Amino acid sequence: MSSIAMDRGVNDATSRRGPDVIVASGVTKRYGSTTALNGVDLAVSRGEILGLVGHNGAGKSTLMRMFAGRELPDEGRVSWHGGDGRWDARAAAAAGVRMVYQELALCADLTVAENGALSDPRPSRAGWRGTAERRIGEVLDRVFPGHGISVIQRVGELPMAERQMVEIARVLCTDRLGLLILDEPTESLGVDATRQLYVHLKTLVAEGVSVLLISHRIQEVLQHCDRIAVMKDGAVVDIVGADRATESALLEAMGGEVRADVGTLARAKVLADAAPQTGATAEIIAELRTGDGPALRVGAGEIVGLAGLAGQGQEDVLARLWQGGRGARVPKRRAYVPGDRQTSGILPLWCVAENLTISALGGVSKLGFLDLRAKRALAARWIQALRVRGEASTPITALSGGNQQKVLIARAFASDARLVLLDDPFRGVDVATKSELYALMKAEAAAGRAIVWYSTENREMAHCERVYVFRSGRIVSELSGATNTEERIIADSFDHATGGSR
Amino acid sequence: MTAPAVALRTYTGRTSLAERAKTAARQGSPALLSLAALLAIFAVAVANQPGILSIPGLTLMLMSAVPLVFATQAQMLIMAVGDIDLGIGYLVGLVTVIAATLLDAQPLLGIGLLVGIVGVYALVGLLVERRGVPSIIVTLGMSFVWLGLGLQLLPTPGGAAPEWLAAIGSWRPTWIPGPLVFVVLATVVGWYLARHSRIGMRMRALGSSAPTLNKAGRSLTATRVIAFALAAVLVILAGLLLAAQTRSGDVNSATNFTLTTIAAVILGGGNFSGGRALPVGATFGAVTLGFITVLLSLVNLSSSLQSAAQGLIVLAVLAGRVITERFTR
Repeated sequence: MSSIAMDRGVNDATSRRGPDVIVASGVTKRYGSTTALNGVDLAVSRGEILGLVGHNGAGKSTLMRMFAGRELPDEGRVSWHGGDGRWDARAAAAAGVRMVYQELALCADLTVAENGALSDPRPSRAGWRGTAERRIGEVLDRVFPGHGISVIQRVGELPMAERQMVEIARVLCTDRLGLLILDEPTESLGVDATRQLYVHLKTLVAEGVSVLLISHRIQEVLQHCDRIAVMKDGAVVDIVGADRATESALLEAMGGEVRADVGTLARAKVLADAAPQTGATAEIIAELRTGDGPALRVGAGEIVGLAGLAGQGQEDVLARLWQGGRGARVPKRRAYVPGDRQTSGILPLWCVAENLTISALGGVSKLGFLDLRAKRALAARWIQALRVRGEASTPITALSGGNQQKVLIARAFASDARLVLLDDPFRGVDVATKSELYALMKAEAAAGRAIVWYSTENREMAHCERVYVFRSGRIVSELSGATNTEERIIADSFDHATGGSR
Repeated sequence: MTAPAVALRTYTGRTSLAERAKTAARQGSPALLSLAALLAIFAVAVANQPGILSIPGLTLMLMSAVPLVFATQAQMLIMAVGDIDLGIGYLVGLVTVIAATLLDAQPLLGIGLLVGIVGVYALVGLLVERRGVPSIIVTLGMSFVWLGLGLQLLPTPGGAAPEWLAAIGSWRPTWIPGPLVFVVLATVVGWYLARHSRIGMRMRALGSSAPTLNKAGRSLTATRVIAFALAAVLVILAGLLLAAQTRSGDVNSATNFTLTTIAAVILGGGNFSGGRALPVGATFGAVTLGFITVLLSLVNLSSSLQSAAQGLIVLAVLAGRVITERFTR
């Protein structure tokens, strides 16, 4: 894949780099049909801070879990100091690999001290509780002077910023630290705490600890790392010394060319031409005021995309559009396609037809009684239109994931909803199915529905008429037409200001 | 650039006793409501029957609560890891049967059976963790096994508890109500197991966030198995103490324990999702529920209405908990 880039990266920093501590070579990891990592080569050397940047789904977190021994590679291997033992959680713990998790590995019901003791590998005899309080208290004092956290408080009682500090302190509660992995450690930290963290990282590095830092705050990465690795589509595409990297070059390396699905677009165009022409000038179906940012508007016949990094407020906007209420003007009939079909999508005990028509029961009943013939006809029409591989009477759980997703999307469009909300519904769906569903969406929009589509896959945004990019819970830009490019979305997703906007 | 030298034992967060007390009060606040309910019911009972305010009066009042408090501590351990035990009632009954039959005639076999029960509970914990079977289903199934075994051993209530056990049940010191000693003992044991020991911490971590416990490199299976085994020991103690009071065995003698222990844990500030264990609150909850039974018989409520009244009082107290939690948040 990127041997040239690798060589360049190695040459960049050979003079200053210590011996390699951990090396991933040719690491590949697949989950079902999706390839999370595709032949990754990456080495972290002793006493360096290696930054890792990349967009959603580039494989950063998977690679981190691999380094922490929490995932085993399908192909390739991870070796510690050139050893050839099995690299699992036990080996990683023995080698002193510690990881700050983005989702925080803390128990809300336990106190700060107990959380520290839970993952502290050091033995402690009688009076372990006092020892635990002292240990994490000292680490907090050392890393975040003036933190003001009481070690006997429950973690669940702390605000997010303090929880993040506890997570960092928890990881440092050890006497043997070889590699420190930090997954978005400054996501919810304040400016002071962020500065304190980086000061402490420098002292750790001086002691010979290696640090692997994932952050979407490009400025922080540029400022504090020795080298920066860029990931894209499950591979490391570039490694550069931080002194010669620039923000724009990194963003460019992270992005990719927009590969529009030509066939689908053509098919959708035919459908769209057949339908009465609508567009942005058409009737506004839904409107949502979002704090101090611009208002979100969706017109009839429009597909509006919500883009940006995962968890920057897009789900919140969907939830508000779904529930209506203050600040939201929404039509009475709405439909929602959840992303997590297992927990909030399918009705696992029901068959395909029942799952498909549950939202459209009003249309297929007379005087409160279901017209079973109309219901069967409706189900059959959609099963045929979407080429669902299965009969109407097949149990929904017997279908593959992609086909279940088709049924859920058919459910939304089989209803008479004017506004259809899609919550990243195409995760883990194969390309062919995706193309069919994109075409369906275009056709349905052309028929006058309004579609709001949240996706973590920037490439999908090419199918939208307009795209709102989110950052830190706000809309930061509205792209359409020629400005709606993957590069623009990536650039707007990341912070230009130093330190971030929180 | 170097870190400021931190002298040993002097981190700024070092907590004073006053702060500790304050934090403990705040963290234990869900249990305060059950204390209030306990005091209110006690006051009503005293107003009806002033004779309660004597050593023999308190002994009578507290007696029925002793086995319930032990069983509640057991339920609290199981609820701390996020499970629920629906077999406690019949298991307590089975233990009274074993105590009244085998423990007297063939002590070794009796003790062997009790140890076997602990082993079965450990297996239940293993099954729940490894196979992901909901604990409600496994323990409900086990409850019928306990019932069947109890009926097989002793089809009709009877038998006789061994002398030493009966002696424990009839222990009546003059300076303190005897049952109070057992209630305090159960609470201390529950507090040590769930809150003070390391394994207790892991149990609460398992109920609070199993992935976190796993990331910390601790065995989820071992934690759940130990939690179930410890709970079994407490249930067996509850059964033995019930047999000590009744001096006989009856597999149906404690059927209401199953739901009462759950209600007591919730009343005392616990939750269904796990992660929390408030032993003092659980004891308050259990004693409160025990008192309600006594109070209802004191006010001469028709016995056919007692269950309904008991249920309504529990609902009222639980509703109170919901309301206070909303205010304190």
